[in-house]
Amino acid sequence: MNSSPKLRPGLWDALVVLVVAALAVGCAWTVWGGQDRGTELTAVVSVDGVETERLPLKEADGTERTIQAGGYTLRLRLTETEVWVESADCPTQDCVHTGHISRGGQSIVCLPARVIIQLEGGERVDTGVDAVIG
Amino acid sequence: MGVKRITALLLAALAVCGLTGCGGTRDPDEAQESIQVIAMDTAMVLTAYGEESTRAVYDAEEEVRRLDALLSRTSGSSEISMLNGAGGEMVPVGAEICTLIQTAGDFTEATGGAFDITIAPVVSAWGFTTDSYQVPDREALQTLLESVGMEHVHLSGGSARLDPGTMIDLGGIAKGYTADRVAEIFQEHAVPRGKVELGGNILVIGDKPDGTAWRVGVQDPKHPDEADGLVCVLNLTDAFAVTSGSYQRYFEQDGKRYHHIIDPATGCPADSGLTSVTVVADSAQGNGTMCDALSTALFVMGEDKALDFWRSGVCDFQLVLVTEDGRVVVTEGLKDGFVEMEESGYTYEFVS
Repeated sequence: MNSSPKLRPGLWDALVVLVVAALAVGCAWTVWGGQDRGTELTAVVSVDGVETERLPLKEADGTERTIQAGGYTLRLRLTETEVWVESADCPTQDCVHTGHISRGGQSIVCLPARVIIQLEGGERVDTGVDAVIG
Repeated sequence: MGVKRITALLLAALAVCGLTGCGGTRDPDEAQESIQVIAMDTAMVLTAYGEESTRAVYDAEEEVRRLDALLSRTSGSSEISMLNGAGGEMVPVGAEICTLIQTAGDFTEATGGAFDITIAPVVSAWGFTTDSYQVPDREALQTLLESVGMEHVHLSGGSARLDPGTMIDLGGIAKGYTADRVAEIFQEHAVPRGKVELGGNILVIGDKPDGTAWRVGVQDPKHPDEADGLVCVLNLTDAFAVTSGSYQRYFEQDGKRYHHIIDPATGCPADSGLTSVTVVADSAQGNGTMCDALSTALFVMGEDKALDFWRSGVCDFQLVLVTEDGRVVVTEGLKDGFVEMEESGYTYEFVS
């Protein structure tokens, strides 16, 4: 059976297909591509709720930073992939015991010094739960 | 260009508008704000969705800091400190603190004294408020216990008076009350969903943006330092949940471990056969305070009395009890959405 000449695709049809395809790609990029994609891993330091420093890890190469807050001193070590509190003179030492953090969303908290070091960007941690109590 | 082609282009354009929200309004599920706050000796995370999420979390932070200053026992300038140091004199502490003391008294009565804010001097004698841990001698404890009991607390209008020797600590309900206040603030800002983590306390509002319940893990008392050491996961929406456990604060002396949950009847760490108690209730106003008070009280009471209290229906809540002998006892209201951790080594029992 011969196809009808009216159904044969023409130049205008090809143009419409291209426009629709371009819009579809644009949509996909807007909806899914714009969310937290490949942002740089950054250590955000806050003292008593106020952000004091943003330290991009890609610029770190075993860098040491000293944070003084609440009468205590924390020695922070940063590499390209992780951050940890190497030593602190706070009484609880919880910040030191937290160990190394390396993924977005993870944080180190020093309650006596009222310091929070949180990693932003990069890949998010998926622990399977939204929160832990206890 | 034909009508069909124009129609195809229009449909494509409409699809773009629909997906990207070209109307200019923000999708409440995407308008998220999350902040961390250090207050009440713990790290808190306040997360809110909705168009007013930013205002909601910052108003909540302000309220958390106000309550931290108001309810602290260790800050010399707080009303509670002034009351404790007043030597039996009447102190104008304000209506809010009076109401909280009254609420605490109601829980003392309901739990037969297992929850008691006047246990403060005994807790201090063990060093839990100063981190200078010690085992007090029996005579000292006996003397301190004579000043324990809500009959030593007197309220009049917006003022309060404590009998000499009596001190109070609202720490047992402070975070729960704070969760109640944050819930109110989030409601004022029409927050459709959110999560408020206040140390061992949590409040979840609504469900998650993907329509599923919030997955709240309960820490395994045997592995308190492991983030993935969980005894179970609770799937919760619009709920408060609070855990009290003997592993949260303790010290060891002469090979024996002493934890921070003091039994008001003995003045010693509660020896109830439990290692943690989690109390869960819906997000009705006041339930944050209730969960906080009951998690401590039921730990002191032990498994049998805690379950009797739950069955009595005096308060509307559900329970997860973790026992020293490796059982997890769960009340029937939590059965739906309860996830056991097979590798935890616990045995699970559902009770009605």
